[in-house]
Amino acid sequence: MRDTGTGLLGRIRQAALELRLGLRVGRPPHSLAVPYALDALDPHETRRFERHLETCARCTDEVRALAADTLRLARAASVPAPPDLRERILTAVRATEQEAPEPVADPGARERRTAPARRGRLLGVPAVPVALAASAAVLALIAAGILAFALVRTDDRLDEEQAAAREIAHVLAAPDARSADARDARGRGLGVVASRSRQQAVVTPSGLGGPPDGRAHQLWVMRAGAAPRSLGLLDGETPVVADDLSARAKSLAVTVEPEGGSERPTTSPIVQLTLESVGFGE
Amino acid sequence: MRSEFGADPARPPGGPTAPCFGTNPVRGLAPDPRRGQNWAPGGAGEGDTVDADELLPLVARGDQKAFEELYGLVSGPVYGLVRRVLRDSAQSEEVAQEVLLELWRTAARYDPARGSALSWVLTLAHRRAVDRVRSARAAGERERRAAERAEPPPFDQVAEEVEGTLEREWVRRCLERLTDLQHQAVTLAYYDGYTYREVARRLSLPLGTVKTRMRDGLLRLRDCLGAAA
Repeated sequence: MRDTGTGLLGRIRQAALELRLGLRVGRPPHSLAVPYALDALDPHETRRFERHLETCARCTDEVRALAADTLRLARAASVPAPPDLRERILTAVRATEQEAPEPVADPGARERRTAPARRGRLLGVPAVPVALAASAAVLALIAAGILAFALVRTDDRLDEEQAAAREIAHVLAAPDARSADARDARGRGLGVVASRSRQQAVVTPSGLGGPPDGRAHQLWVMRAGAAPRSLGLLDGETPVVADDLSARAKSLAVTVEPEGGSERPTTSPIVQLTLESVGFGE
Repeated sequence: MRSEFGADPARPPGGPTAPCFGTNPVRGLAPDPRRGQNWAPGGAGEGDTVDADELLPLVARGDQKAFEELYGLVSGPVYGLVRRVLRDSAQSEEVAQEVLLELWRTAARYDPARGSALSWVLTLAHRRAVDRVRSARAAGERERRAAERAEPPPFDQVAEEVEGTLEREWVRRCLERLTDLQHQAVTLAYYDGYTYREVARRLSLPLGTVKTRMRDGLLRLRDCLGAAA
């Protein structure tokens, strides 16, 4: 009796083990819908499940329904973003090239690189950098965006623009980078991301429109106890990098000047932005 | 640690996965752009405002004004979710920046047929945050995280938030109605970024049980919130 019992128990155990092994080997991937919706799969399982999704209508429906649940969890965590983030992002956006629309929006599409990436690879630069260390990530994205923009231009300004992209990334990456912006009632204004420690700023003009015929928009830094210093002529809304900003730099200003620019401002500023809130203008 | 273009070219963009699915947001809780960047779920009527679903296609065509508006709608939810997962303001700001800029860059990938724009954006944000927290853990920050975990849960930490308390409150109440194991399985995965295998190890449960607890938890939450809506 005892032998039989043990034997029976043993067989049950064995069967259970086989069952479990069988389940493990042939585990239906659709059982992963819930962890997938929670982003709780490892990358390998995620890819496997996404392949499965392409052929499993039931799973697709289930994932959709579950996404409504996780959306509730997501929204419940909402808090206001830091105020500074807005200007940083908007500055970055002005300097960042968008990805061309993809012909197909299937999950595998992102692995098949699109045109900007191919352009980027020609120069040995990844066009779509992803999370690396800390703050470098977003800056690399910006830089790559500008690069992609620069790369479509085939003129000899290429090197210059690439250098500018690096400069911009450099300023935005500074640990003490701060931002400010100002706009007048007509929507004309300046945005700035500045780093006191690097004595640099990225200046983004907006809403200025084109200068009158035969004239140019010139950007200046106004300094306490010194003459305004030219930061160059504006080219539409292309960001400008200002170097060697001293602590005395009080404000930025744009004036309308004769084509080619002036040594000193000859007209009153059409827009102005104080640098006090970004750590300058002592 | 700054390299100009120091990305790893081997890694696909958008983390291990890109968001594809979603459903319509709860209409009674539609966003209100008039609240600017401080928008949080929990107010506003329907139909009287531009929502993310309308803005995202404009953004995909390079409309910077539309992006500014979209920023007002999604920055709070994106930042809040990222911070809920990362529990660190500085890191959260970085990841939120990445997400919002990626939103601009890749807006053309959004497919309305697959779900709401907000769902797409928050999926992107969640995956980025989860990627970050997992690599941080892999880099040996387990102890620090464990210490943080002993502190009160962020649902209490976000008391500074004045808007959006209604939906948060409902979600919190509904989460409380789950069994302990359902609650832990869902929140360890979604809010703490653990894979379901890690959740199983932490809770000393078989994988199948964890998946079941997650499913039951989400379904109970759905019922509860459905009743609340």
